[in-house]
Parts: sequence; C-alpha cells; structure tokens
Amino acid sequence: MRNPYEVIGVKEGSSKEEIKRAYREQAKKYHPDQYNNNPLKDLAEEKMVELNEAYDILMNNNGSSYRSSEDYNGYSDYNSIRMDIQNGNIKNAENSLNNISSKTAEWNFLMGMVQLKKGWYDSANNYLTTACSMDPVNREYKEALNAISRRNTAYRQPYNNRNYGNNDMCDLCVKLWCADSLCECFGGDLIPC
Amino acid sequence: MHHMFGYVTPCKMELKIKDYEKFKSYYCGLCREIKKSYGNIPRITLNYDMTFLSILLDSLSLGRTTYKTGICLVHPNKKRTYIHNSNAIEYAAFCNVILAYYKLKDDKQDNKSIKSYFYSNLIGFYINKGNKSFSYVAEYIEKRLTDLYNLEKNNNNLSIDELSDPFSQITGFILSSYIDFIQVSSKERTKQNLFNLGYNLGKWIYIIDAYDDLYEDMKKNKFNPLEKAYNVNKLNFNAFRPEIADNVDFILTNCASSCLENLDKLPITKNEDLLQNILQLGLMEKMNTVYKRSEQNEKSI
Repeated sequence: MRNPYEVIGVKEGSSKEEIKRAYREQAKKYHPDQYNNNPLKDLAEEKMVELNEAYDILMNNNGSSYRSSEDYNGYSDYNSIRMDIQNGNIKNAENSLNNISSKTAEWNFLMGMVQLKKGWYDSANNYLTTACSMDPVNREYKEALNAISRRNTAYRQPYNNRNYGNNDMCDLCVKLWCADSLCECFGGDLIPC
Repeated sequence: MHHMFGYVTPCKMELKIKDYEKFKSYYCGLCREIKKSYGNIPRITLNYDMTFLSILLDSLSLGRTTYKTGICLVHPNKKRTYIHNSNAIEYAAFCNVILAYYKLKDDKQDNKSIKSYFYSNLIGFYINKGNKSFSYVAEYIEKRLTDLYNLEKNNNNLSIDELSDPFSQITGFILSSYIDFIQVSSKERTKQNLFNLGYNLGKWIYIIDAYDDLYEDMKKNKFNPLEKAYNVNKLNFNAFRPEIADNVDFILTNCASSCLENLDKLPITKNEDLLQNILQLGLMEKMNTVYKRSEQNEKSI
C-alpha cells in the first residue's frame, strides 16, 4: 500500500482537521456517483477504496503523528491474514486479527470472513455489516454479504418451489371452486363440470 | 440442555417409497443394535437424529448393506426389514446411548426428578456393556458437555455462536471420528468435511431446539440459549420472539446449507437420494414447522 499521507495528499504529521479537509476534497473528486455510465467508474471506485483505507488508518491513529512502522505493519498483517483465510488457517488469521488494536473497515471485513469459515454466522453477519457501514463504497465487503444471502436463497428454493411453505395452491383451488359454484347459481359456468 | 433430539428427519412427501423403506430399515436396525449391545432398557432412548447418523456413516463404507426381516417386541404383529451387521449402526447405537446417558445425567442435576435419576443410573449401568474401542469418543463427549454446562451457567454476556459451540463440536467430533474405524479414500479431507457437516448440523439442532422450547422455557423461567444471547432488555416472549425470528432463520439456513454443501463433498457410495432429501427438504420442513409453532404460541397468549 502507498503511504496513506500521499494517498490523501497531506504532509506527514498533519493534524486531524487537515486530513479531514483533504480527504473530503479527494472524496468529492472520486465519488463513484459522478461516474455513472462513465468508463472511469471502476477506476474511481478503486481510488475511493484506497482513499477510505488511508483515511481509516490516519484517523484511527490516536494523536496526529503518524507512527509509520505500526501502520505499515498493520497493512502487511492484513495481507498475510488474507492468505491465512484463503489457505484455511482460520485459527492463525483469528489470532493475528485479535492482536491488531485499530478496528478498521478492513479489520471488520476479515474478522467477518474468519467467523463465516468457523460457522459462527451471527458474528460473521455483525462484522460484515459493520465493515459495510464503515466503508459503504467497498464492493468486496458488500459482495461478501450478498454471497451469503444468495447462498441461503438458493438453499431454500427447492423446498419453497414445492409450495409447502404457503397454501397458495390450496387457496387457488378453493377460490376457483367457490367462484364456480357461485357462477353456477346464476346460470353460468366457470369450469364446465 | 433440552430434548435436543429428533429434528433430523426426511421430508416424507418427497421421499421415494424405496427410500422410505430404507429409512425405516436403518431405524429398526439401530433399535436392534441397541438391544444387542446394551440391552432392552436403553432402547427407549432411540431417536431419528441417530438414524440419520447411521445412514450417513454407512454410506461411506464400501461393503454391501445386508437386509434381514424379523419380528421385534415393539411391533409384534408385523415382520420388519432391518439392516444387519453394519459398523455404522454399531457406532450410531453407541453414540445414541452415550448422548442419552449424559442428557439424563444433566436433567438429574437440573430437575432432580426421580425419573431422570432412575434412568440415568440405569443406563449408566448398561453403558459398560458396549464396544470398548469407542470409549475415547465417550470421554471427549463428557469433556465438551462439561464445557457446555459451565457456559450455560456462566453469567457473562455470551453470543449464540459461543453458546452453541460445545454441542456443535461434539457433533462434529462424533461424525468425523468414525473415519478412524473404516477404510476410506483421501482420509484427511473426508474427515474435515465430515467434521464441518457435523459442526453445522449440531449447531442447527441446538438452535432449532432452543427456538422450539423458547415459549415453555420463558414461561417456566428456565435457561434458554437464545434468551441468554439476545434478550438483553428482558422482553417478554411476545415482544422477544419477533425480534430474533430473522436472526434465528439466518443462522439455521446458513447451517443447513453448509450441511448440504459438505455432503456433496463426501465420497458417498449409497443412500444419496435419502441423504439429499433429509439435508435439503427435511431440514427446511422442520424449520417451517417450528416457525409456525412458535408463532402460534405468540397468538395463544
């Protein structure tokens, strides 16, 4: 990752106010809403993600001075945690995450993925939702939540298609039968029988 | 701990007749095995979840299934088909009796009722008659159940994921340990998939049982995992149940679909339709039944 100060465009050691101002200016420039139907949209979104990460790092860093070693380590930690999750070393990933004190959007996302792999679905849902609300434009976080709900819908489908869940079929028959009897009373016939 | 057993069943309406007969033969086979290894009394503990266990584990063994017909005490009028000589059934019978024993022992601590006292001592006596090579499984189960007991008695705030972990671990362990007793291809991977299936199924059982019992537990002021995990504002049943309904459905559906995904990864040699039916349609059917039942409880107040 690039130096977060460079990403936001302020000098190292800038105050939180300065960082905030610079962040807002950059965010205006890259906000994906301005790029609807524009080929630059993807690039803008990537920029936005990078910007948000940098902003998270700088703002969670209590005091305005940037302790470069800790934060760069924090970032390379995230990369090795991603590797651990991919390779199924869930315990390792969870331990590393527990050793990181600043709970950024990325941290919440990775913790959510760890919980998901463990089968701790309630916790996973909480962490992933937090990640999404901390960084609403990040597509990876949103996609993780969408994937879960797609999987659940797919699982429910074969059962729901059989119509046990509701009495629609039954309802339909009864309604038709009532309508038919009613019509027959008046001399007509909805279903010829 | 609650009844906890009997939720894992096929969706009968969608079952082929041959698979329905097969399910019954496993059930009868398991019942006979319990009688043979442990005696007549522990037979009363027989349950459907363990029938599923024996079908699943038997599907991993390469040997042919042998069926027999005979008359049993429970159904004296009619000859029944049952499965004979299966390692999986022997193992499932052991797990059935062990789990029932600890469950009764737990009831004894909780309610001090004469009935559970009587049964737990009785079945404790029968347990020693079983296959000794399974004894490390029993030791593991006892350890995890102690964890569960301590968690449930713990006063700290615990999430439903934490509370359901020991029981899920037990089920995962029971399913995956069977691998040590048979020949199977790519052992490590199969063992991991079996563990995952068991973990998710155990969690599903623990939570659906807690949701099913929520009304009674809250009425009688008894421990309920869902109440402990979610009811921070001490709401009554009417206000509390709708608040957690979506959470419960989210967790149960995730568990159930993970079970099915892991089943698809196993080197199954038989009973595929039956297992698919149970993990796909059977679990969904049970969830719907339990959801409806708990909504009705709400109306009845």
